Amino acid sequence: MIIVLEKIKFIEAVRSVARFTQHHITSLPVLSCILIVAGDDGVRFRATNLETGIDFKIDGICKATGVVAIPATILQQIAASLTNEGSLTIEQTGDTAIISFNNARSVIKTIAYEDFPIIPLPTTNKKNTINGAVFKSLIETVAVCASTSTVRPDLSSIAIFFEGGVLTFVATDSFRLAEKKKTLQTTLPNLNILIPAKNSTNIIQTIPDNDIIFMFDEHQVAFLWNESIVTTRLTNGTYPDYRQIIPKKTTTEATFLKKDFEAALRRTAIFSDTFQKLQLGFDPKKQHLTLTTHNQDTGSAKESITAKITGAAIEQSFNHHYLQTPLSLINTESITVSAGSVGQPLTIRGVGDNSFLYLVMPMNQ
Amino acid sequence: MNTPTHTVNTADAHELWEYVLSQIELSISPANFNTWFKSSSIVKIEEGVVYVGLPSQFFREWYLKKFHPTILKVVRSVSYEFRNVEYLIVKDERRRLVREQKHDKPTIELPLNEFYVNKSDNLNPRYTFDSFVVGSFNELAYTAAQAAINRPGITYNPLFIYGDTGRGKTHLIQAIGNQFKKLYPNRKVYYLTSEKFAVDYTDSLQSGSANRFKDKYRQYDLLIMDDIQFLSRKEKSQEELFHLFNALYDNNKQIVFSSDHAPVAIPDIANRLRSRFSVGMMIDIGEPDMESRVAIINKKMALNSVVLAPEVVEYIATTVPGSIRELEGVVNNIVCHTQTKGVPPDIAEVRQTLRSFSKSTKNVSVKYIVSKVADFYGIDQESVYEKTRRREVVRPRQIIMYILREDFSVSYPTIGMKLGGRDHTTVIHSCEKIKRNLIEDPELAKEIEDIRTLLTN
Repeated sequence: MIIVLEKIKFIEAVRSVARFTQHHITSLPVLSCILIVAGDDGVRFRATNLETGIDFKIDGICKATGVVAIPATILQQIAASLTNEGSLTIEQTGDTAIISFNNARSVIKTIAYEDFPIIPLPTTNKKNTINGAVFKSLIETVAVCASTSTVRPDLSSIAIFFEGGVLTFVATDSFRLAEKKKTLQTTLPNLNILIPAKNSTNIIQTIPDNDIIFMFDEHQVAFLWNESIVTTRLTNGTYPDYRQIIPKKTTTEATFLKKDFEAALRRTAIFSDTFQKLQLGFDPKKQHLTLTTHNQDTGSAKESITAKITGAAIEQSFNHHYLQTPLSLINTESITVSAGSVGQPLTIRGVGDNSFLYLVMPMNQ
Repeated sequence: MNTPTHTVNTADAHELWEYVLSQIELSISPANFNTWFKSSSIVKIEEGVVYVGLPSQFFREWYLKKFHPTILKVVRSVSYEFRNVEYLIVKDERRRLVREQKHDKPTIELPLNEFYVNKSDNLNPRYTFDSFVVGSFNELAYTAAQAAINRPGITYNPLFIYGDTGRGKTHLIQAIGNQFKKLYPNRKVYYLTSEKFAVDYTDSLQSGSANRFKDKYRQYDLLIMDDIQFLSRKEKSQEELFHLFNALYDNNKQIVFSSDHAPVAIPDIANRLRSRFSVGMMIDIGEPDMESRVAIINKKMALNSVVLAPEVVEYIATTVPGSIRELEGVVNNIVCHTQTKGVPPDIAEVRQTLRSFSKSTKNVSVKYIVSKVADFYGIDQESVYEKTRRREVVRPRQIIMYILREDFSVSYPTIGMKLGGRDHTTVIHSCEKIKRNLIEDPELAKEIEDIRTLLTN
């Protein structure tokens, strides 16, 4: 096998593909490799960790066909070290591969590629189109709220629904929840799938911004563009009925400038205690929202910001990280925060933006 | 492989798969085996087709391409009744479990709640007013507790509850804490024993963080301190409590104390503290009366879903002396009995059980009892043995007979003989009379209880 690749294309391909490899000691060595396939239809890089997989088409010249598996970490280090312009030649002879770039020459011991798994495709011919940039932004908005624990696979997934022209992405770790909606001009079939959050963040690093094709069945979803494919398994199971926990009645509502709150939060959070506790006080008389923290070891802080407050005066405590999260996800200048009665979550929205909803549970005192 | 050569129970899917794995493990590398076979299993066997469950599509493709011939070969070597092997993608056990849990909905944040319960307030959520039996003996304490909850820091501050061990003090004050927490979720409750307070204090002195110790306790809106009598003789801790008390009291924070004695009767406690305990409301939880005992037994039985005959309940209520804790012990015993035998015990069996609970196994002489009772009533010992029918002597004499009979199982003729040669029918009459009076006269019950305490000491 002999292939010639442009340096930039090579770096891009390694970056995209390497994140799909697996690094367990006990597993197959070939799973920590990138499989380079040079065939009549061009050069492809493949990788999989048996949950997600990628088959990436790369522009290059194929002088002789063949297949080779090279550990991804070696390719990553090579890609990161290339400085000058130029093109790269990968040549395989026996069980070694030689990568030459200008005057540099690396001889790499390869791994037997026969054990490299097949990257499966959904068992369907139905192709749907979605804009890559839209998909990315929706995932990016909610993904931080998904649970990182593996105890509940449903909560470590992002739920995707499509109903009546609206695409909805939801993620929650049971302490907070983010929901982002997007009205689409195009139509899709009715969707109700759970993508593991970790896999979804890998996928959005790879897919392009323009329209891409996606296919799904009961067990997996695949995205196709430009002869490249990326696929992930879906979480088996149903998502909790989160709509019922969105409070219908609120007792207190406060509207204020996002930048005021963001700055105050940053200043007071310094003195939060080991539980990251920060108290929010809603004062409708003074029209003040007060942020208070108290740490027995380091000190305490208190700050009030002007806010338009209606309803009853209440105080509730929160994990300040959970209050920080939505601020970067809301694009409007002002935000509205509504609190319900005891044990009800706090609702945070951007003023005039109904597409994004964030819920956070108060802490027990 | 012409004939099936291995004896594997073909109906047992698990055993079959174990066998298949053991065969495949020999033919491929360990890494390969770990990667592909660790999370697989046989889901079902139907009409000769073995369905193998796999975690994802990746596995399925690879099984079909690589392992299918081998697996089929091994399976057919077990029995020809297996025609084919098919592969399904299944949810693993963990996932299935979670799906079932999901029916008890309100997902949000339950684990965190539980975590905080123990950390921040020290209260045991088991002690609530729902499980608290109110009777005439603790009605006042209960009412005062309710009043203190409704207007914390104002109505009765501090609330001082005292009573003998096993009367439900801890239950009551913990229930106050739990109820307070429910009503005012934004306020802080803390429950501790005086012993923990003293230990905390000494620790803070040792680590040089006395100020942090002060701050910690001054932040609470409701402070509950159990078993205050253990502070006796701990002068520094008392002083610290004194300052803490003042700080909380001045800020109208509710304080609840419990003790096994009234403040005046706690030995070696500073007077300034003693007077402060008495400033609010002091309530004595007395001994539970007959009806309350019955109610308590019934409630405990109901919690364990055991139903006892009314006469059995009554028998337990009359026979088990003193504290609710002992009553609970008997109840547990009966529950255990019911669980092993399947039926609740009848009165004879209960009597048998209770024998081991009765206190006075100690051998004492009649003379000793006579002297104690005579002392108690302030009469001359000799008069008990005489034939006199003076009222102040008759009553104690009857009580002596009753105690000898009930507590020490002395025979009627013996009692008669020892107490100045009386006929055994007189003794029977006296015992019956006291038994009858006991039901109507709480004063008498109290007296006998006190005498029993005297005797055991």
